Amino acid sequence: MEIKEARPYVVESLKYALNPSSIAVVGASRYPTKVGNKVVYELQKWGYKGKIFPVNPRADEVLGLKAYHTLREIKEPVDLVFVAVPAHIVSSIIHDAVAIKAKMLVIATSAFKEIGRAELQNDITEYCREQKLPLIGPNLVGMGSPYTHFNCGFIPYLPVEGPIAMISQSGANLLAALGTSQEEHFGMSFFVGLGNKADVDFSEFIEYAESDPHTKCLSIYIEGLDSPEAFVKSCKKVTKPIVVIKVGRSKIGHKAAFAHTASENPMDDEYYDQIIKEAGAIRATTWQEFLDVSLALGYQPALKGDNVVMITNGGGAGLLSCDHFERLGLPLKELKDISPLLAQKIRAYMPMFGSPLNPVDISGTASVIQYKGAFQQALRDPHVDGVLGAICPTAVTDVHGVTLAAVEVAEKTKDLHKPFVMICQGGEECSEAIKLLRSHGIPAYKTAEQAVNAMVALRKAAR
Amino acid sequence: MPKLYKIGTPEQQEYLRDYHYNPKGMAFSEPGVIASDAKEFLAFNIAKSFYQVHPEVFNLAYVEEKTGIKKEEAAKRLKRLYDEKLMMLVKNSCVNIMGFGLYYWVVKLKEGTSKEDRKDLYDFFQNNDQICTGYPMDEGGEFDFYNGNHMRNLDNLFYGVIEKFRHRPYVEWVHICPVRRLIRESSVNQFDAKEGYRHYFFEEDQVKKAVKLQKKMDEKDFAIIEALNNSPTVGEMFDYMVLSSLSGLPAKEMKEDLIKAVDHDRGVIPMIYLNYAALGLHQRFFLVSLFENTPTYRSEQIADGLAKDPRFVNFFDFSDAHHNYMLSIYDELSDADEIRAKLNSYGEVKEVLESLSSRQFRRWTARLDYENGLYEECVFTDDVLLDRSTEGM
Repeated sequence: MEIKEARPYVVESLKYALNPSSIAVVGASRYPTKVGNKVVYELQKWGYKGKIFPVNPRADEVLGLKAYHTLREIKEPVDLVFVAVPAHIVSSIIHDAVAIKAKMLVIATSAFKEIGRAELQNDITEYCREQKLPLIGPNLVGMGSPYTHFNCGFIPYLPVEGPIAMISQSGANLLAALGTSQEEHFGMSFFVGLGNKADVDFSEFIEYAESDPHTKCLSIYIEGLDSPEAFVKSCKKVTKPIVVIKVGRSKIGHKAAFAHTASENPMDDEYYDQIIKEAGAIRATTWQEFLDVSLALGYQPALKGDNVVMITNGGGAGLLSCDHFERLGLPLKELKDISPLLAQKIRAYMPMFGSPLNPVDISGTASVIQYKGAFQQALRDPHVDGVLGAICPTAVTDVHGVTLAAVEVAEKTKDLHKPFVMICQGGEECSEAIKLLRSHGIPAYKTAEQAVNAMVALRKAAR
Repeated sequence: MPKLYKIGTPEQQEYLRDYHYNPKGMAFSEPGVIASDAKEFLAFNIAKSFYQVHPEVFNLAYVEEKTGIKKEEAAKRLKRLYDEKLMMLVKNSCVNIMGFGLYYWVVKLKEGTSKEDRKDLYDFFQNNDQICTGYPMDEGGEFDFYNGNHMRNLDNLFYGVIEKFRHRPYVEWVHICPVRRLIRESSVNQFDAKEGYRHYFFEEDQVKKAVKLQKKMDEKDFAIIEALNNSPTVGEMFDYMVLSSLSGLPAKEMKEDLIKAVDHDRGVIPMIYLNYAALGLHQRFFLVSLFENTPTYRSEQIADGLAKDPRFVNFFDFSDAHHNYMLSIYDELSDADEIRAKLNSYGEVKEVLESLSSRQFRRWTARLDYENGLYEECVFTDDVLLDRSTEGM
C-alpha cells in the first residue's frame, strides 16, 4: 500500500527484522520437509544467538525447542514474528502478534493479493499500520545477515560477508544472489525479500541501509514501485550508491509481475526510468549487470574522473574493453594524453613489442613483477582516476602470482581512493583468481564487458 | 458353452442398474477435481488449523440445541478431547472425484517372526510417508498389517512401498486389495455407501459400554461428537462467523463453497475421528473372501446388506483381489461371535480371517503417533501422478 515517505517508526523497527533478540516462528513444523521446520533449522544451523520460540498448535516440541500452541502463550518479549502458515490463518496470527507487543512481523505466506485476495491483504496491512506493527511481505522467502549469523526464512545458506545490501521483491532472485555469493564471493551486508511489500516499502529499507555500518551499496530488485515519491525521497537522503533493476517492462512481464508479487505497474517503463534517474540510482538492465555493478559499487570508491588506464597481457581483452567503454559513453584516452610521464615509465614493465597506448598491453609473456610494477605505476600516477587490469592465462602466465600482486598493490594504494577493477578471462585458475580478488575487495569479472560496465557505473556514482 | 457376459445379458444389466460407479484410479483428473488447498475447502482448512486452540470453530450452538450441552462446556470438552489426543478433525476425500486410486494391502508374517523383525516392519510402515494410513495388528492374528495408499500410479506403490519389504525373509504374503467401494471409515458412511451418506454410527448401547470401560470420555463427550458428525449438512458442522473472524475471509462464501464440495458434489467428508487407541479400545478386523465364482453384483448386494449394520467401524470393498471385504468392529463394544456368525451365514463366503488392532498408524495423511510427538502432523504426498520409481526422486 502506498506511502508518501518512509515512516520513521518503521525504519527504526527494521533492526528487529535483521538483528532480533528473539523470534517466534509461527508454523514451525515437526517435519523436516516442511518450510516452518526449515526456518527453525536454518536459524539454529547458522548460529543465531537469540531466543527461538516455535509456534504450532499441534506440537509440544520442535527441533529440541519447547513449542508454543499460540503466540499468546509466549510470556517473554518477542522482537520478530515470522509467519509460515497458510493465508487463512494469518489474520488471527497478526492479532496475536499485536497482543504480545511484537516489534516486527514478517509474513512468508503466499496467496494474498497476487491471487486476487487484495481485500484480505489490505485489511491486514491497515490493521498493522493502525497498531504500528511493521509488516514485511507477505509472499517472501526471508531475510538475514552473515554478520549476525542470521538466516531467517527457507533459505539454504548465508552469503559471504561483504558490503552489498540486497533488497529484492523476488525470493528466487534473492536465492540466486545468495548462491552467487557463495560461488563467486559476492559479499553481502544483509539481504531481505519483500514479496508483495504490502506495508514495509523499499524506501524504508533504503533509509535503514544508510545507517547499517556494513553496507556500502544498496542493490534493489523491483517488480512494482507503488510508492515512487517515497522511493525518490529516500534515495536522495542516502549517501551510499544504489543500483536498481526494475522488471516488468515487457507486455507479458507486466502481467507476470502481478501474478508473482501482486506488483502493479500502471505507468510506462520510461516513467520508472525517469524516477530511478531522479532518485540518483543506477539502473541495470540485466541480472548479470545488476550483480556486476553492485559488486563494484560495494567494494570500490567512485571513479572521480574519465581517465581510466587499462593494463592487460592480452590485446583481445583490451580491444573488447575499448569498444565497450566507448559504447557506454566513457571512451578510453591514449595514455600519453592522460599522463605522458606514465606512458614513458610503463615501458619498463613490458617487452619491446608491448604497447603503451591504452590499453597498455604488457604482452602475453608478462611476469608477476611486470604486472605489479605496471599496476603500481598507474595507480600512483596523479592523472589516473582508475585502473582496469586484465589477466589472460597464457602458458607462461602465473595467474595466482599476478592475483596476489594485484591484491598487494590494491592494499598499498587504497588510501588513494581510486577504483581498481580486474578481468580474469579463462578457465578454473581464473575462477579461483576472481574469488580471491573479490575476497580482498577487488571486483573481478570473467569478461571485459562486465568489468567495463562496473567501471562505468563507478563513474556514474561519482556524478 | 462359455458364459456370455456382455451388453444386454441379464447379469450385466443387473450390475449396471445398481453398481455403476465412477471409475477409480484413472490417471487423469476428473472434471470438478478440486485441490486440498482450493477455495472450496477454505472453511475446512481454517477449522483444521484452529480447532486445537479455538474449539468454537465448531457450531456449538447447534451442539447445544442437539445435546443440551452449553456452548462453553462443549468448547471445553472439545479442547480437552484434542489435548488428550482422543479425537482429531479429519477429512476423507472421495477418491474417484479426486482422481486417485485407493489401494489397500494386507501383510501376513511367517509364524515365529521375532519381535525385532515385527518392530522393524512396524517402524517402516509408521515412517513411510507414501503410506496414507494403516493398522498394525496385534501378534497372534491371522494377518499382521492392513495399510493403504492413495495412488494414481500403481508402480509407485510397488516401488516405493511393497518392493521395499516384501522380500524380507519373515514376510509370508502381501495381498494387494484395490478398493472398489469405500463404504465406511471411522464409523462414518463414505461416498460409496448405498445410503446414508455421511452418517455416523455410534449406537447408544455402544456408548454405554464405552463409558463403562474407560474414564477419558463420558456420554456428553460422545454426544458432542455424534452431533457434529451427524449434522444434517456441513453447513451446521462449523461456525462460519468464527471461521471468518479468525481468517478475515467472507463467511457466507466459505459456507456455500463447503456445502457444495461436501453435500452437493460429495467430494470430501469432514468428520471427527475418534482415536480408539487413546481410549484403550481395539478394532477387530475381518478379512472376507468370497468364492471366486460369486458374480460382482452379488458381492455388492452382500456388501450393501452388511453395510446396514451400525456396528461396523470400517468397511472396504475390494476388486481384483484375493479378498472381497475388510470390515472392522470395536472389539470391546460389539459381539465378535455374532459378527463372525453373520458373515459366515452367507453361502458365498469362502473364508474369514481375523486380527485385532490396538492402534492406527495414521488417519489418512495425519500421523497419530503422539508417543513420537507427531500427533496430527499432516504428511500429504501430492505427487501421486509422478514417477517415483527412480531412486533419489
